[in-house]
Amino acid sequence: MGTSVQMTPLCGVYSENPLCYLLSIDGFNFLMDCGWNDLFDPNLLQPLSRVSSKVDAVLLSHPDILHLGALPYAMKHLGLTAPVYATEPVYRLGLLTMYDHYLSRRECSDFDLFSLDDIDAVFQNVTRLTYSQNYHLTDKGEGIVIAPHVAGHLLGGTVWKITKDGEDVIYAVDFNHRKERHLNGTVLESFVRPAVLITDAFNALNNQLYKRQRDQEFIDAILKALNADGNVLLPVDTAGRALELILILEHYWSQQHLSFPIYFLTNVATSTIDYVKSFLEWMSDSIAKSFEHTRDNAFLLRHVNLIINRDEFEKTAEIPKVVLASMDSLEVGFSHDIFVEWATDARNLVLFTQKGQFGTLARMLQVDPPPKAVKVTLSKRVPLVGDELIAYEEEQNRIKKEAALKASLSREEELKASHGSDTNAPDPMEVDASTSYVSSGSGLRSAGHLDVFIDGFTPSTSVFPMFPFFETTAEWDDYGEVINPDDYIIKEEDRDQASMQILHGDLDIKIEEGSARLLLDLTPSKVASTELTVQVKCGLTYMDFEGRSDGRSVKSIIAHVAPLKLVLVHGSAEATEHLKQHCAKHVCPHVYAPQIEETIDVTSDLCAYKVQLSERLMIDCMCTDIGDYEIAWVDGEVGKTDDMLTLLPLPSAPLPHKSVLIGDLKLADFKQFLASQGVQVEFAAGALRCGEHITLRKISDASQKGGSGPQQILIEGPLTEEYYKIRKYLYSQFYLL
Amino acid sequence: MASAMTAPGSVLKRKDSMASAPVREGDQLIVTPLGAGNEVGRSCVYMSYRGKTVLFDCGIHPAYSGMAALPYFDEIDPSTIDVLLVTHFHLDHAASLPYFLEKTTFKGRVFMTHATKAIYKLLLSDYVKVSKVSVEDMLYDEQDILRSMDKIEVIDFHQTLEVNGIRFWCYTAGHVLGAAMFMVDIAGVRILYTGDYSREEDRHLRAAEIPQFSPDICIIESTYGVQLHQPRVIREKRFTDVIHSTISQGGRVLIPAFALGRAQELLLILDEYWSNHPELHNIPIYYASPLAKRCMAVYQTYINAMNERIRNQFANSNPFDFKYISPLKSIENFDDIGPSVVMASPSGLQSGLSRQLFDKWCSDKKNACVIPGYVVEGTLAKTIINEPKEVTLMNGLTAPLNMQVYYISFSAHADFAQTSAFLNELMPPNIILVHGEANEMGRLKQKLITQFSDQNTKILSPKNCQSVEMYFTSEKMAKTIGRLADKTPQVGETVSGLLVKKGFTYQIMAPDDLHVFSQLSTANITQRISIPYSGAFSVIKHRLKQIYESVEPPIEDPDVPTLIVHDRVTIRQESENYLTMRWSSDPIGDMVSDSVVAVILNISREGPKVTAVAEVEKTQEETAKMAHKVVYSLLVSLFGDVKVVEEGKLIVTVDGNVARLDEKNGEVECDNDSLKERVKTAFHRIQSAVRPIPLSAA
Repeated sequence: MGTSVQMTPLCGVYSENPLCYLLSIDGFNFLMDCGWNDLFDPNLLQPLSRVSSKVDAVLLSHPDILHLGALPYAMKHLGLTAPVYATEPVYRLGLLTMYDHYLSRRECSDFDLFSLDDIDAVFQNVTRLTYSQNYHLTDKGEGIVIAPHVAGHLLGGTVWKITKDGEDVIYAVDFNHRKERHLNGTVLESFVRPAVLITDAFNALNNQLYKRQRDQEFIDAILKALNADGNVLLPVDTAGRALELILILEHYWSQQHLSFPIYFLTNVATSTIDYVKSFLEWMSDSIAKSFEHTRDNAFLLRHVNLIINRDEFEKTAEIPKVVLASMDSLEVGFSHDIFVEWATDARNLVLFTQKGQFGTLARMLQVDPPPKAVKVTLSKRVPLVGDELIAYEEEQNRIKKEAALKASLSREEELKASHGSDTNAPDPMEVDASTSYVSSGSGLRSAGHLDVFIDGFTPSTSVFPMFPFFETTAEWDDYGEVINPDDYIIKEEDRDQASMQILHGDLDIKIEEGSARLLLDLTPSKVASTELTVQVKCGLTYMDFEGRSDGRSVKSIIAHVAPLKLVLVHGSAEATEHLKQHCAKHVCPHVYAPQIEETIDVTSDLCAYKVQLSERLMIDCMCTDIGDYEIAWVDGEVGKTDDMLTLLPLPSAPLPHKSVLIGDLKLADFKQFLASQGVQVEFAAGALRCGEHITLRKISDASQKGGSGPQQILIEGPLTEEYYKIRKYLYSQFYLL
Repeated sequence: MASAMTAPGSVLKRKDSMASAPVREGDQLIVTPLGAGNEVGRSCVYMSYRGKTVLFDCGIHPAYSGMAALPYFDEIDPSTIDVLLVTHFHLDHAASLPYFLEKTTFKGRVFMTHATKAIYKLLLSDYVKVSKVSVEDMLYDEQDILRSMDKIEVIDFHQTLEVNGIRFWCYTAGHVLGAAMFMVDIAGVRILYTGDYSREEDRHLRAAEIPQFSPDICIIESTYGVQLHQPRVIREKRFTDVIHSTISQGGRVLIPAFALGRAQELLLILDEYWSNHPELHNIPIYYASPLAKRCMAVYQTYINAMNERIRNQFANSNPFDFKYISPLKSIENFDDIGPSVVMASPSGLQSGLSRQLFDKWCSDKKNACVIPGYVVEGTLAKTIINEPKEVTLMNGLTAPLNMQVYYISFSAHADFAQTSAFLNELMPPNIILVHGEANEMGRLKQKLITQFSDQNTKILSPKNCQSVEMYFTSEKMAKTIGRLADKTPQVGETVSGLLVKKGFTYQIMAPDDLHVFSQLSTANITQRISIPYSGAFSVIKHRLKQIYESVEPPIEDPDVPTLIVHDRVTIRQESENYLTMRWSSDPIGDMVSDSVVAVILNISREGPKVTAVAEVEKTQEETAKMAHKVVYSLLVSLFGDVKVVEEGKLIVTVDGNVARLDEKNGEVECDNDSLKERVKTAFHRIQSAVRPIPLSAA
């Protein structure tokens, strides 16, 4: 009778792997998240590849790699074509996150799993929703309503509520019930008794410090390093938790008038903050309020400088500074390079605010005790020189000629054909003969990059290519200028002095060549790698700024939501097992923690049918108001009108029914109530002793909410007036039907 | 469904209307414009259905001041309103809000969109400063506005909220930044209130959306009635041409515009025109509104509420960062030399900077005044559209009106084409017109009646305070769930259970399932009391048997003497000195236990008098004999002459009429019908008094 619900994990169960689950509701297949890890390991996507063509809709919950990283690859290579639903910030910040990852990867490898165009293509496919918007699916999904709700954790983070025929399936991973500086807490607790709750066990074993204490320790640790003349590196994600850290730093810096510079260094830092500024309606009430009252946008940063490439960062003054750099895994990106540079100095501090993904450098450094030395691969994109360059240019010319030939052919064809439907305009490369911007088969595509840096990361909504127009963009001047190579020669010497052992490769490679500049210049280039062992002398600290509810809160939230069936995903095996045990005992008997590709059926065994309430029946109904509810006892006879069951009043007087007491007695509250009525009352041995002789106790296990049935209360005492008085008070706590 | 309009002037107060419509009160839906009924300004529409009350908008009338500008709030009881929804920040839609929140008994919740709330505060603070009225006439002050800010909650487009069972959400309305159309759903009846809306996309705003659900009632603006707008391109061209030609002839252009909303659109047009015409670069454009400057941050932030075009521009640079437009603080800072373009508020030329400039420029025929939007009846701007020969200046003198006056509307209200298409798409069965000047509205009404003549559509245009009443017979559907729904019942079967109503959804369930499907829980209270008693247990049993039909020992052998009375109360003799009594709380159980207690206490008290032990074992026969005796004596006392003829037969003689009564089956033979009935009734009553109560209730 109930809605059929099946769920199949594709990735991310009994482990901290990225999240990706197939949820099928009455045959409509939702892909809940489509995550990948920072290492972009295609093996993880094997299970997805087997079902991707069956997916009818993709719902994204957070704008980070673990929740949406695999989308471009899946759309390009795995045949995923379904429409994607996400909130506006998840869409926008997710896009920026993907750009940042791509650019960081490109920087140090011939990364070819997907391209910037693939990313753009995917994100054009996204339908953007607002919180608590009830979106009615059509066609195959007729009757299904999806609604995103506030999840906390990341900006735009979503708890998905999928409703069919009045039954709710809730997908809530990585939620945070605590209100933070920039985010409100999740509204998950406002959902009561959904048919199915899918949640994660990620933090089931972790407990957090109090926020204020944690913030203080965070600032203390940073200031300690800075005051000792060291630098602080905070490896962060592109556009997620970084925002909260930025606000914390901003707050303390202005409160304590600190002058140490702070840098936010990602490939997309400026765009990120620009967009974040326009997402105030998605943030916490206090941010919205301060804007309404003073028009003070919290993300108008006064202390944090935004930097989007390495060169600019190199130019910053050589004074102690705080750097928030992507990626948080330290695998690639600015954080990786800076770590290599700073790790050897004991004064420096690397402060992790998130648990590193499994198998990444960040995770390696987070073990206790930290390793003395780590092996890293330092890869840089370097321009081609000598023979390589000549060979490359020859290849270029050949391709260009071919392209020109093709273009002229196609132009002729176009002339012949009518000018009507010209949506597939000629390739951007051949708009002009200008050679310096022409890209090649090497994989670097000009249109993509230039879009990124000039148009501020808007995915082009149309397919008309526009030739890049450099003069008008101020940003171009900021980072497109030629850099004085002398700066780097000094740096090189510094590095030599630092005890860094180069194992392979030659010292001649200038690894700090501004790679973003290379990406823009599109000078023919290749990737050169060196492997080296870095002595880790700097301070390493981990503080939990992940913005997830901790174990204790997760348990109490699940208990409060009290789903009829519970599915646990995403969390280490121990954490999953622990939470499963706990919930089976205290929340509901149906707790599932499926393995990868194991399909579980969580169809509710709920029976239901609809009846129409006749007017005559309702007139006789005596409703009692109980909180939000109105309750009455009905006795009706089933009749039928127009194929609908109708409930009519009984022809004769109904038989008396067993009376029902409604109410939830809390002994502690009752004690207070009695005390306020002037009754002497105290707790003794688990029972409430009222007056002289009367005792009141709950018989059943009160902690087991939901599963056990009605509460059993026992009141006993000798036959006295007091007894009847206490009983009267006790009755006043209930509604009798 | 039926609808009726009460006579104008009928009193609307809630309690009165309740008294006048006692039947179907719950199904009656009332819509009453408290403002904007057959007028433009002070939008405020009251709506009530099933005890839930919603107020849409809370504006002032720009042509009046003080209390006179308010909607007719005294027609309603503000404390009964559950939700107040404000569509956009314009004064005629939002400016009486601080008054309503701070100076009345209103205690419901207020919602508006983020952008509306941000601008609301700036706009109203400005309004309070600018309006030069005496202190007594001030409706509220700056402090009231600040306090009202704390009470206003925000809603995002499409976000569905529920308050007291009223569900509502909003759609983009297109009119100004943050403008919304509200859809309200009460118990399945949907009402759409459009506020001011425009179906045309312009430079920065999206067009109004068409809701995906058709409402049952559509309350729609009718500002432009049956007029048709020129295409936007032509209007823009006329606008820029007028300005260009005036300037090139050395004239000055005054654009009286409301500080926010449409003004931003005009500035976008002007800025773009200037950047395309280098020859104009030396002509200054002034924007005389510090308010607009302050609101720029809001326009920059809520870019997501605007259309794709502007969002794409935003990616490059802020389109609201105007290159050729400079702010102007006041007339003192204005260097009036040579041609210039000044945009100033207020739009109606009532007072303020626009009026000062108007007074200064109106007599020169080189100058021009471009009125860019709808002007409210009763303002100077409305007057000059008709190009009178003379106008009265602020200082009371009259002056000739020589300047050119152009009326080019950019106000983003729907015209007839848009309204008609919008309604055609939605097909609401009831249309209520508001926010339109009476004649304009009348024409629109006629035209719509023609358009929807073949549908059963009702089109109404109530005046202020005139109530529209409609009836919706809502079908209440309940969902039976849980144990109670193990199988779907057949016709004729009975269903008994708890009917649980939350908001407007009904569920029927077994009491045991209550905690599963709701946040409520049920409880069983077991009571156990001990009673001092030292007598014999059998005495109790005997006494109870006299009262209760069912006094049985338990099925399993108990360790101590035990009795179960009426299947509910268990009595155990725990020791020689006391008994315990245990039962589960419910009214009957409590009653039985009370009587048992009374019996036991009586036994204890009457201790020695318990001598009638011999009587204990009464046979059936004896009982019957006793009953017979009682019946006989009672009948004697009633009818006087009663004889026992044979076993079980009695003869009653009254005034010569004879009735024969059979005691066994209660049948009466008699020639006189009235006596027959009396004897029969009397006998039945006696019988029911004498015979013990049957045990069926257990």
